Amino acid sequence: MSTSAAETAKAGATILAGAAAAPPAAAGVPDLRINSLSAYYGELRAVHDVSLELRRGDVLAIIGANGAGKSTLLRSMVGLVNHGARSHTRGSIEFDGKRLDKLSPAEIVDAGVTLVPEGRRLFARMSVEDNLLAGAYLPRCRPTIPRKLEEIYSLFPRLRERKSQLVSQMSGGEQQMVAIGRALMSSPKLIAFDELSLGLSPAMVEEIYKNLSAIIAGGAIGILVEQDLKRALGACTRFCVMLEGSIVLEGRPQDVRVEDITAAYFGSTHPHSRSEAPGARDARG
Amino acid sequence: MTNDDLYWMGIDLANGILSGAMLGGYYALISVGLALNFGVMRLINLAHGDWIIVAAYICATIATASGLQPFWTLVIVVPVMYAVGYGVQRGLLNHISVQAAERRGMSPVYGLMLPLLVTFGLSIVLSQGMLLIFSADTTAIKNDLSYSAISLSADLSISLLRFGFFIAAAVLLGGLALWLKTTHIGRAIRAASDDPETAALMGMRTPHIYSVASGVALASAGIAGFMVGMSRSFQPFDGPSFLLMAFGVVVLGGLGSLLGTLVGGIVLGIVQVLAGTYFGPAAQQVAGYLVILMVLALRPQGLLAKPSR
Repeated sequence: MSTSAAETAKAGATILAGAAAAPPAAAGVPDLRINSLSAYYGELRAVHDVSLELRRGDVLAIIGANGAGKSTLLRSMVGLVNHGARSHTRGSIEFDGKRLDKLSPAEIVDAGVTLVPEGRRLFARMSVEDNLLAGAYLPRCRPTIPRKLEEIYSLFPRLRERKSQLVSQMSGGEQQMVAIGRALMSSPKLIAFDELSLGLSPAMVEEIYKNLSAIIAGGAIGILVEQDLKRALGACTRFCVMLEGSIVLEGRPQDVRVEDITAAYFGSTHPHSRSEAPGARDARG
Repeated sequence: MTNDDLYWMGIDLANGILSGAMLGGYYALISVGLALNFGVMRLINLAHGDWIIVAAYICATIATASGLQPFWTLVIVVPVMYAVGYGVQRGLLNHISVQAAERRGMSPVYGLMLPLLVTFGLSIVLSQGMLLIFSADTTAIKNDLSYSAISLSADLSISLLRFGFFIAAAVLLGGLALWLKTTHIGRAIRAASDDPETAALMGMRTPHIYSVASGVALASAGIAGFMVGMSRSFQPFDGPSFLLMAFGVVVLGGLGSLLGTLVGGIVLGIVQVLAGTYFGPAAQQVAGYLVILMVLALRPQGLLAKPSR
């Protein structure tokens, strides 16, 4: 990284300037309200009766073991679970007064909610810049394209050097930067990251997390699904632990002991058991 | 062997390569819609050839009724075919596509079979419909270009019409490639063909995007129909032979590659004309399909396409 931390923070702050400039929500009314949400794949219930409220500036870390329903919760928020006959949701998701659960994925992006999907899901046969531009497909995003590109390139300078390279030829970490940049192109007011550090080298995770606080700064809501407990708790303002589709513990990281989180993570009834720490990066396996 | 013999051998070869290459432009235009449909939506449109004949009939009818220069019919047939392509995709094919089957959790076999059956049925409806309206008599777009030629030397010339088709094919395919590469909708078409779910996460409405791609495919079939009508006579049941030709070209060049479609068309054109020159007219088709078989055996992904992911 050639940019200083201060520059990076500035770039991150301007990235979400659109969100910051929006009129502040009335005090007391949450910007995101998930009410008794359940999500089903056929007969299988992957998320069970989840309720959450988040306000601008919140960064929520969703912690939980593999199969706890974290990804499904994120996918429900961006309309990928309600989209199609195989899966459906019950309950409601409201963002800025709009019922997201009634909208298509494209309409949800237009409402300012976006997801950096697990496994990055880049358009492999396109260049870095084409991937970023694909993120600005919506008509409302097109006028700000030059500014957004500049902001993303100053956030991740190595993307500028490689803007005409095919993304399939890049390392996992660089691909994750493209995926984050692509999501930022739509000037989101809520950005969710699914398994941000999965499969990346520690140095790369470090670099992305260093920029993450800058990305989420400036009046947006961030949601992190992360296997790396320590990272997640370090980056969030609130957390919740999911187990078998339900939220079993939530709070602010400074108010709760790590042991309690660990216990909730494993569904253990012994809060002081010191079995395998979930902070290990390979906890997924 | 005298100098004269050598001269004529050279002229034969040059003529064969030149007129074969020109023919290639015509083949490429016939095939590009099929390539686009398959490249973007994994849709094999068995009615492709029939749409070409429909367009040829529209051009011939308008030209006869209005007395205008045939070229002006393009102004009508291209937007009409675009609208038809958009409508058929949006109203019919989007609901039975590979992507729809995936969305509904159906076996991929349905996703592959349903569009084949539906477009096959569409092909029958179209050809029978044309038979009802236009009868089985052959027709053509009357024009005075069919026999004009450009002389390059005393013994070397190319058909003016074929030359025009070649230029049109190069411009159209180049323009299409540029459109896919640089415009928002072009990028969306590439994104939706790569990963529809992630494309939706970018705000792309895939049903609309697929329909635009199908509209463009049929608009190109409209231009192809115009060329068919200008260069030969046709009748309602000619569609499948154009479909077969387009399959050959697309397989030769590589599925989903626009440049490959042009190269495939040129290779097929040159092989056919040279085979016709040296072994007689009967050898033309056989040589064409032999080359396709050889390419399939040695380089199954086609001449230009990269091996699939």
